[in-house]
Amino acid sequence: MNTKLFDVIHEEQSDRHVIYVKGELDLASAEQFRNIAEPLANDKTKTLVIYLKDLTYIDSTGIGIFVSLLKRRQQLQAPVLIENIPPKIQRLFDLTGVSRFFAAERETTKQKGQKANDERV
Amino acid sequence: MKEFEQVVQLSIPAKAEFIDLARLSLYGVAAKMGFSYEDIEDMKVAVSEACNNAVLHAYDDETGRIDLRFEMQPDAIRIIVKDYGKSFNYEQEAKQAASLHHQSLDAAKIGGLGLFMMQALMDQVEVLTIDGTEVILTKFLNRNEGEHNHEFISSSSIQEQP
Repeated sequence: MNTKLFDVIHEEQSDRHVIYVKGELDLASAEQFRNIAEPLANDKTKTLVIYLKDLTYIDSTGIGIFVSLLKRRQQLQAPVLIENIPPKIQRLFDLTGVSRFFAAERETTKQKGQKANDERV
Repeated sequence: MKEFEQVVQLSIPAKAEFIDLARLSLYGVAAKMGFSYEDIEDMKVAVSEACNNAVLHAYDDETGRIDLRFEMQPDAIRIIVKDYGKSFNYEQEAKQAASLHHQSLDAAKIGGLGLFMMQALMDQVEVLTIDGTEVILTKFLNRNEGEHNHEFISSSSIQEQP
């Protein structure tokens, strides 16, 4: 069964790993996200960017993965950025307190290649 | 709305990939009742967290079910999430239900986050542990933020009742 409610794409740029998280990040999709994100979080030579523009839903499972990724990056003293957080997701980050752990910088990632063409004006 | 209660029910396999159906059904019922977009988003998370607990804790095998019951009342929706498996220890979990606001990242515990979100996002959360676990989530229509009383009524069982 593949309803395509969730997708995660990794894009490697010169200075960073960008992970685009799309759709609903819940108990069902958590493993798919974790499998891609955890190995990238271990690469301290590049900034890790988690790009959430198309994230439509998150639950405690998803927030738990963010916390463990942030912990790992803190251990490695490596930068991590959470970018383009939709307002309704930001509400849940604020409610749970996880946003306190995010860096203040936002939207520093330039999308390249075909992804840039996806941008609707 | 008629004055009496109207009910919509859904029964799903207790598997992670079916929890989105609980959210979709809730969306339909809550939108029909006139809940705001924000309230519906809040309830989607709360219902999913209740289902998550059933999927993760209730059953040992893959054959379990979760019954959802949406009670449409004139001034509120009551969502009942019921499983028939081992009861999850909500009482103990409730003590640990906490946000991350007062925790440092390196010591952050996320175990109680699901229950914390349920309590924070609904007006009322009740848990009954009779033949499985029953989580009753209530949200009132047309209530403003701030009026919410985020109370948690601790679990009870038939045996404990007088």
